[in-house]
Amino acid sequence: MQLTSRTYDADNIAAVQELYHSNGWTDGLPIVPPTADAVQACLDWAMMSPDQLIGIEPVRGLAVTAEKLAINAVMAGCLPMHFPVVLTAWTAMMQDDFLMHGATASTGGCAVLVVLNGPIRLELGASGGFNALGNSDRATAVIGRAIRLCLINLMDVRPGAIDRSTLGHPGKFSYCVAEDEEDTTWLSLAEQRGIPKEASAVTVMAAGAPRQIMNEWTTRPEEILETFAAEMRANLRHYSIHPGNYALIIPKQLREHLQAAKWSKTDIATFVHERARIHRREWAEVGKGAVVRDRGDSVYPAMESADQLLVVAAGGPAGGFGAIIPPWLGNKSHAVTMAIGACVDCEPPKK
Amino acid sequence: MTFRVLDPTPEKAPPAGQLAPRLATLEGKTIGFISNGKEGTKGFFGHLDRLLREEHGVAKVVMRTKSNYSAPADAHIVVEIKSWDAVISGIGD
Repeated sequence: MQLTSRTYDADNIAAVQELYHSNGWTDGLPIVPPTADAVQACLDWAMMSPDQLIGIEPVRGLAVTAEKLAINAVMAGCLPMHFPVVLTAWTAMMQDDFLMHGATASTGGCAVLVVLNGPIRLELGASGGFNALGNSDRATAVIGRAIRLCLINLMDVRPGAIDRSTLGHPGKFSYCVAEDEEDTTWLSLAEQRGIPKEASAVTVMAAGAPRQIMNEWTTRPEEILETFAAEMRANLRHYSIHPGNYALIIPKQLREHLQAAKWSKTDIATFVHERARIHRREWAEVGKGAVVRDRGDSVYPAMESADQLLVVAAGGPAGGFGAIIPPWLGNKSHAVTMAIGACVDCEPPKK
Repeated sequence: MTFRVLDPTPEKAPPAGQLAPRLATLEGKTIGFISNGKEGTKGFFGHLDRLLREEHGVAKVVMRTKSNYSAPADAHIVVEIKSWDAVISGIGD
């Protein structure tokens, strides 16, 4: 099966960059030239033919093929071994529950957070350690960027076109984190969500920017988690009271206190679910009195149930920090977890 | 060094919707509104409702609001569209 995308000839690397920038095919940063060889290598690695249908975006009916995903993945800097993650993330994003069109078109300006679990993290060198939510490593950087370039080029999610974000946030360049599974006693996020430990998996969430917290003055789980819950309450007050998936990123220093006290992720979620809620009347304290109306006594939890909390072990070894990552708009989009189906331990097929 | 590189876009236009036949008149017609439910739609559709009835002789205005303003209209609303002569789908932001 041959690649069928239209080709362009460019005299040199600078001409390649100008071709892609001038057509609006980039995120503003330079791209890796998507040559046929590089794209074919991605497809071979995933053992997919170019015309393999990955999915149809449910709202606008746009078909996405493996070839087009691979072109954008190469542009983002992906190596063939990164490509199965991009494929799986996109398959997850096209599930009805994720509401990709709404999440990527909305004025709310969220990004797609990708959480990696399982053995593939180690094969790719994806790090959940230092700078976990920033530029921690090559794999998470290019996978996160590939998600965005695919949105730009396959769904026309360009600023001012389908993407109507008022502000957006820096995670729209790349927003991918690997869980630090080796340095925790907890179940991984994917295991919590039903994926066997031996499998690699991707979780996608329509997510706002991380909100960092700090509490290095206690070892008590209830006090540590109260700080996280307070930041979630702040989000409920200042942003949106829609309940949905929140992510909690818990680095090693705070994690060790929780683990020493034998708190599991489920214990954490149960506690946070109880504490992360506000009364509607609190909106009057932050300038939103007009929408309190006669419902001031109504209580709004950050999540409908404790299992909506995505607890992720990640972050550098020192520092009493953590982060909450709020949902785009509560339950309008649901996080989706999907096992990576491609045989990531296999060699590419022989020609 | 020359590069032969690939087009990263779908290269095909997305499936296009088709407009329903235009009405010759609004007199005596039933017009449906589909609101996305945002705050700005209330005043807009309220004004449009009055305008259609008082100035264009519209017989009936049916107002429906989506349950999720970021998703397509609910199935029961889409089914109901068949009983209207025309529909106005509005976004308020």
